[in-house]
Amino acid sequence: MIAQLVIDGLLTGAVIALGAIGITLGLAILRFANFGYAELMTVGGYAALTAVLAYGGTGAPLGPFSFGGFLAVALAVGLVVTALVAVASDVVVFRPLRRRGAGPLVLIFASFGLALVLRHVVLLIFGTQPEYYSREIQMAVLLPGDVRVMPDQLLVLAITVLALVALWWLLNHTRMGLAMRAVAENTPLARACAIDPEMAIRWTWIVSGALGALAGTLFGLTVQLRPEMGANLLLPLFTAAVLGGVGSIPGAVIGGLLVGLAENLSVLVLPTSYKATVPFLIMLACFLLRPKGLFGK
Amino acid sequence: MKTRFMLAAASALGLMLAGNAAMAQGAAPSCPIKLGAIIPLTGPQGPIGKPIADTAQLAVEHVNAAGGVKGCPIEMVLRDDTGQPTLGVDAARYLVDVQKVPAIVGVVGSGIATAIVSAVTTSAKVPMVSCCAVTPTLTRLSEEGKTGGYFFRTIPTSRVFAVAHAVAATDRGYKNPVVIYVNNDFGSALLRDLEKAIGTLGGKIAGAIPYNENQPSYRTEVNQALALKGDALILIAFSQDGATLAREWISLGGTQNLVLHNTLRSQDFISAVGARFLTKAAGIDNAQVAGASVDAFNAGFKAKFNRDPVGPGLHTVYDSAVVTALAMQQAATLDGTAIRDALRQVQDPAGEVVVPGVEGIKKSLEAIKAGRKVRYVGATGPFTFDKNGDVTGPALVWKVEDGKLVTDKVIDLEQMTALFKRIGY
Repeated sequence: MIAQLVIDGLLTGAVIALGAIGITLGLAILRFANFGYAELMTVGGYAALTAVLAYGGTGAPLGPFSFGGFLAVALAVGLVVTALVAVASDVVVFRPLRRRGAGPLVLIFASFGLALVLRHVVLLIFGTQPEYYSREIQMAVLLPGDVRVMPDQLLVLAITVLALVALWWLLNHTRMGLAMRAVAENTPLARACAIDPEMAIRWTWIVSGALGALAGTLFGLTVQLRPEMGANLLLPLFTAAVLGGVGSIPGAVIGGLLVGLAENLSVLVLPTSYKATVPFLIMLACFLLRPKGLFGK
Repeated sequence: MKTRFMLAAASALGLMLAGNAAMAQGAAPSCPIKLGAIIPLTGPQGPIGKPIADTAQLAVEHVNAAGGVKGCPIEMVLRDDTGQPTLGVDAARYLVDVQKVPAIVGVVGSGIATAIVSAVTTSAKVPMVSCCAVTPTLTRLSEEGKTGGYFFRTIPTSRVFAVAHAVAATDRGYKNPVVIYVNNDFGSALLRDLEKAIGTLGGKIAGAIPYNENQPSYRTEVNQALALKGDALILIAFSQDGATLAREWISLGGTQNLVLHNTLRSQDFISAVGARFLTKAAGIDNAQVAGASVDAFNAGFKAKFNRDPVGPGLHTVYDSAVVTALAMQQAATLDGTAIRDALRQVQDPAGEVVVPGVEGIKKSLEAIKAGRKVRYVGATGPFTFDKNGDVTGPALVWKVEDGKLVTDKVIDLEQMTALFKRIGY
């Protein structure tokens, strides 16, 4: 039972980690808590669904997985659409506010408003019922120790690791990554070094939008797509970002995994119905005991 | 101490009032005789409440056309509860205190019926015959003596579901099924009844896992249920959550020996889960009664409204009004306690069988007047109030064949009554 809970926790944690990176990038570079971020996961998930619906399914299932090869194309569509939506939301909402010198609180409320708009646009188009990329039920693989995992979940774990490697390379080995890190560190100094902060901000939206779309699609693949999925994930995502330490990407990943593990292991001591409160308790404990997070500076 | 005194004073006052009313009405009732009705006419339940109210009015018209009760026509005093318990309690207070009705019929919402029973009718000793409240909470209140025997209903309780689940499971040889149930009053009450029913029919529940509604995933609950290692799964879930649960159960390697609740009896559920995983699945639901008495009601309804009586609560509200009218005729005086006792007398198993419609009601009113025993067989078929004022109803077991829902077995009223007795409800 415990082994099963640990595995489930890591698999849930992987998706939370991807989303938490987007949050932590926003906190570090955009310098406000973007409560609309989780909606980018919904947008990404549903954008990929639109592609799947337009194609008429994902194609014949690949091996043990529940979906066909077209899902890769759908994912690409989701990434592009979400990155565009993220940039557009900056251009339409956040950049005008930044130019007027709006404080972080104004930006937070604006992000709330944006979240509501995005969620209800999705709701309007797709309705309230849950959606799936593929209605195929795949059979779980029985691992030693009576642990059951779905092939899709293992793939999600692999994709998460790949995405993290790609992100690490992007931030550390490209000029764009250098610019983002520089702006996060010290914006005036970055500007003095001929780095355009607006450019770095735009790239932050693109990268975090793409990560959100990836997380949303993977969540939709292993759980289901619902218009309120992003809103429901908001608390775990912020907890992971805060726990890891604001601005720390390894922190966000470890925070995400810890939140996933804690949520799943909590059923050993708490009734299942209280599972959703676990992230909140972690966040509270983190604020009280170590406000800067595990890896915060 | 103070509240207890107040309560005592209030009930003493109530007794006096009731006594006075009984004395006043004892000799010759003043015409017309009032019958209280509380039905939602507006609000979210308005669309189903309106036809229910019309049907109750139809029942009163039938009784009046048949000669009325004790020579008097009945006047239905109808109040709208708008689907809210507070307004329902207000309406009941008005009917009991101002209109001084000797009985109340209708009452659609379970929560409203519970509130009225707890706050008004039991202490006022006014019988309430609900058409539509299915909650087992009222059965429990009755078992605990908190209804004083003044609560009746003409709709089967959810215990019928418990029996049907138990029959469907044990028929298929499942000895220790696991239950996943919705975590609310309905679900936990049904689980209690189910444990008892399965125990009697030769099985034992391996364990039960509650789930909260409207979650995107139930993997943890499913894993907990899998760890119980039952030989089948009884799934008491509402439609969308039921599909999520069944999908995760099957994909995590759970047995395909499923027993599904009536909310999952839909083509949507089959397509969400996949018919090929449901070949061994069974499910349960209420069954429709057929027979001459049902046809008599249907004909009367069609004559009045020029359409077939399709919709919730129509058959049951007709019966609740007619059986109350017959009980008024039977009761020596028009006070609540006499009517309460008479409600059972007009269902005498040895009595003359009487049916809905003007003719049938006329026959029964005359028979009662002449001192003969009657057995009212109504729009919902033959029904008998048990010691808690509940009735049973038939149920059916369905299965999935070639992706279609088919009826596998019907548990008719006699079998259901026998099972209730055997289980000891």
